[in-house]
Amino acid sequence: MNIVEISTGKISPIEVLPVENKDYKSISKTRYFFDWKEERKEEVFKVVLKGQNDILGLVSIERIPTEWRVHIRLLTVSKEHVGNGKVFENIAGNLIAYAAKIAVADFGALACVSLRPKSSIAQHYIKKYNMNVTGTTLSIEVPEIVDLINQYDHD
Amino acid sequence: MTKKQNLINDESEYGVDSRYKTSKEREHDAVNLMQARLERMKNLTKEQILRAKLLQLTLKMESYLKDPVYDHQNHFADFLQTYIDAIYSKRSEFAKDINVTPVFLSQVINSHREPKEEFILKLMIHSEKVFKYVGSFQKKTWLQIYFHEKLCDTMASQDTWKPEIEKQVTFTASIVK
Repeated sequence: MNIVEISTGKISPIEVLPVENKDYKSISKTRYFFDWKEERKEEVFKVVLKGQNDILGLVSIERIPTEWRVHIRLLTVSKEHVGNGKVFENIAGNLIAYAAKIAVADFGALACVSLRPKSSIAQHYIKKYNMNVTGTTLSIEVPEIVDLINQYDHD
Repeated sequence: MTKKQNLINDESEYGVDSRYKTSKEREHDAVNLMQARLERMKNLTKEQILRAKLLQLTLKMESYLKDPVYDHQNHFADFLQTYIDAIYSKRSEFAKDINVTPVFLSQVINSHREPKEEFILKLMIHSEKVFKYVGSFQKKTWLQIYFHEKLCDTMASQDTWKPEIEKQVTFTASIVK
């Protein structure tokens, strides 16, 4: 999995790793927009440049085996990578693709990843990740989920 | 890009809070989403299902290789079985395609026989062709799985083999004092 440095176009390899207890000390609301400490008991993953410690983005998920679904509870990209001056691109896409990998590994052809963005930004997710709309919930399933993984999961 | 579009992009990039506030909200979403998904699933083609199944297998194999697993399961045989059953309706057809006897294949799948190197090489070539239409898969993965399992099994069963083998190993005085 990779991200792109916008100013140079340089592609850098990343890792998605489980968030450890010690990480929460450096995860502030100012830099990561939400109170991530509330997610301590959930499955939370971080994106870092390979071999580095600085957290570029976070995702908290819930596996729902009875529905063959992984629900994205909370997702964020750190402050420096948002807006016009952002340094790296594709952080959120990699986090969604990682949730998709978990869903396909667990549920195969029945896999689904869901999330519920605010209506004002739903179109962005629908367009960018080819998501389906059901009420206020967006979801990605087979076949689109396979394409998403193949798009993001390569070295 | 308009100011409004910029704002939407910025907002969407900083993230999403999808947490359910009430159990009623969660149940409502679960029912509606499942109904919609079941409808969409009816339109899936065999190829789309196969791609998903093979991607699932790839992810499970990668995950197994990441960490040592000490158990009594035969992972190589399990992965092989999943691979064949995803593609073929009869295992004998796969045996024919890679030029081995159905009996030999059955013995490998049921862990009654070790796969020969030639068998693994054939499996690698077969996978290379199949996965060309699926996504990234490194054919060496089969070989890695086989040896990773050997390594894990050997290390996990040290108590069984080590005492007897240790008796047969001696050091000359010049090496070890």
